[in-house]
Amino acid sequence: MKKLNDDQLNELQKDLDAIRDEVLADLGERDANYIRKIIRLHRTLEIGGRVMMPFGFIPPVFVAATASLGIAKILENMEIGHNVMHGQYDWMNDPSLNSQTYEWDTACSSDSWRRTHNYEHHTYTNIIGKDRDYGYAVLRLSDEERWKPRHSLQFINYVLLSTLFQWGVGLHELETEKLTRREIRLRDKIPFLKDFARKGGRQAFKDYVFFPLLTLPVAPIVLAGNVGANLIRNLWASTVIFCGHFTQDAETFSEEECEGESKGHWYLRQLTGSSNFTGGKWLHVLSGHLSYQVEHHVFPDLPAHRYPEISEKVQAVCKKHDIPYNTGTFAKQYGTVLSRIARYSLPDSLRTRLEGKRELQAI
Amino acid sequence: MLARISNTKALHWLGRQLLNRDNPAAWLDPLAETINPMWVQEYTPARVERIVAETLDTKTFVLTPAKRWAGFKAGQHVNICTDVNGIRRTRTFSLSSSPLLWESQGQITLTIKRLPGGLITNWLHDSLEEGDVIGLTEAFGDFLIPEPAKPLLYIAGGSGITPILSQLETMAAEDYRAPVTLLYFVRTQNDVIAREALTALAERWPALTLYIIATDEDQAPRYLKDSDLESVAGLKARQVYLCGPKGLMDLANDLLDKRGVKESQIHSTFFAPPAQAQLDRGQLGGEVTFTRSDLNVGSEGDACLLEIAEAAGLKPQHGCRMGICHQCSCRKTSGTVVNRLTGKVSGPGEETVQLCVSVPQGAVVLDV
Repeated sequence: MKKLNDDQLNELQKDLDAIRDEVLADLGERDANYIRKIIRLHRTLEIGGRVMMPFGFIPPVFVAATASLGIAKILENMEIGHNVMHGQYDWMNDPSLNSQTYEWDTACSSDSWRRTHNYEHHTYTNIIGKDRDYGYAVLRLSDEERWKPRHSLQFINYVLLSTLFQWGVGLHELETEKLTRREIRLRDKIPFLKDFARKGGRQAFKDYVFFPLLTLPVAPIVLAGNVGANLIRNLWASTVIFCGHFTQDAETFSEEECEGESKGHWYLRQLTGSSNFTGGKWLHVLSGHLSYQVEHHVFPDLPAHRYPEISEKVQAVCKKHDIPYNTGTFAKQYGTVLSRIARYSLPDSLRTRLEGKRELQAI
Repeated sequence: MLARISNTKALHWLGRQLLNRDNPAAWLDPLAETINPMWVQEYTPARVERIVAETLDTKTFVLTPAKRWAGFKAGQHVNICTDVNGIRRTRTFSLSSSPLLWESQGQITLTIKRLPGGLITNWLHDSLEEGDVIGLTEAFGDFLIPEPAKPLLYIAGGSGITPILSQLETMAAEDYRAPVTLLYFVRTQNDVIAREALTALAERWPALTLYIIATDEDQAPRYLKDSDLESVAGLKARQVYLCGPKGLMDLANDLLDKRGVKESQIHSTFFAPPAQAQLDRGQLGGEVTFTRSDLNVGSEGDACLLEIAEAAGLKPQHGCRMGICHQCSCRKTSGTVVNRLTGKVSGPGEETVQLCVSVPQGAVVLDV
């Protein structure tokens, strides 16, 4: 990890705080109009998808309906739900956009998400052993975790996790790895499991029972389309999130180096532990602007559509302090994620030998 | 249509399951708002029909609320909500029309004075136009006409006349039989709100005795004095209703007490303009009320709300304790807080605050 002394960290904090203050002072109607525009788009796509779905016996309509509902779910989860729950729009004082009461369209309950994501992941970002989002306790992605034989098949785990992503995220707080290590008891997780059953049940009821039954003669088509829409969202959300912290150059940290850290050190960790990807406007919107993961981690509660605007300023700060700014095309970044999952599935001796060979070839 | 849906319990339950929200009818609001803002379900929309200038700094807004609004009693208030520069703002105003107008024509009026430096009153005066739509809550307040009829004395100052206008109109229409006296204090004769309505009332309704007193027209200010009360027949038997600036209310309470009017006979209401908070470490701290926990504690210096809550034995939800994760965000129902990180001072009204970085500045009430 890039090392800065206390003065440099304070300077870094001041520079980033200045960017943040500038945006905060400028928040207003433009941001309100933006999020309401996205909400209108979401409502339109969801209604469009649900209405078209029963006519899915016509193949192009099926594709359009599934895509429409899938994109609606992506927008709701990523650009609306995730960002609203970060408190990005709390300043609007609109009860339907309140970080503490918003409930999103996915199996994970918002309360659980706020604990595991907003608090744990954003506070302890990429600290191995504390940030449970790093590998989601099913993938080994760093040599700070010891290799075990089960890791050799982790690519299958990755595909399964991506496919069933909403259920994986929903069950994240169960902390199965701690249960198997007997650090916690299942009994303590009963309140969580009740919440999960309620929210997950509600989601499954809606997409897999209610809407198919409502259109009984074509129930299988509606069921298939709803499964498809959820799958599209699952794969996309998982891919975007993996690109945020598991790329080649995204750094990891140990608990010791972060003990009693300053805000400046926290900023440094967010900058070096996150990675962006580039693309067109709609790629950014559909990723909930998590394509600007660096900016998001530095300023998780600034409205996300502002990240493209402040990106240059963040890059200038990185340059000034000689901190790497991790970005690349979507394909390149995702490629390094897949490679990381594959490489760390190997025992370290084999991995380093292969990596050594590749480096030699490169020379 | 959606309102009717949400009235049925089963459909409401279904709506919650399908739309993941406690007010499923409001799910379509963002779309409805752009088509017809009167279709919004989250609050009761009210269309501005007419805007009437009362004085140089006071206007009456004639509103038509959506039909589902539940109505009000004379003397009650409503919260209005409106987005100003992207921020939902809520303010309380007294209804100045009689409930009879709502019952017969579906209209209500708010009579609003421009407050110097006031964000919302100035916005209402400068930016709100006929045809615009604002949000309303249901009416509330216990500043009500006594039943059965009792002799009354009103002492009003400035825009404090507004709830009294509603009551006088109502009593006149119902031919209220007990004597009613109104002492209405204004700065100058140009500042009289609803002068025509008041004189017309006094003419057609013999029970009403009306005095309009200008305080600032002579060299020496002409405030409420004992002789004003002396001229009110049967004062000790009257219910007294006070509505006006703090100075007038204090003076009135004092003089009434000396004349032997009991505290239980006096009813007062008024919404003071928001105090302009100043950032000064010496002014930080104050009494914090946690309404849900029914707890009241004092605080000093720059202790944040989270620390104050924990010191009081509460365990509010929280996370990073550094203003990042918003785990501790909750509703502040009143009072002013200073953001520990930015030094920014909040508004006095209801809004969401982060407990871990908010320091009270004076009394604060939290929904915790």
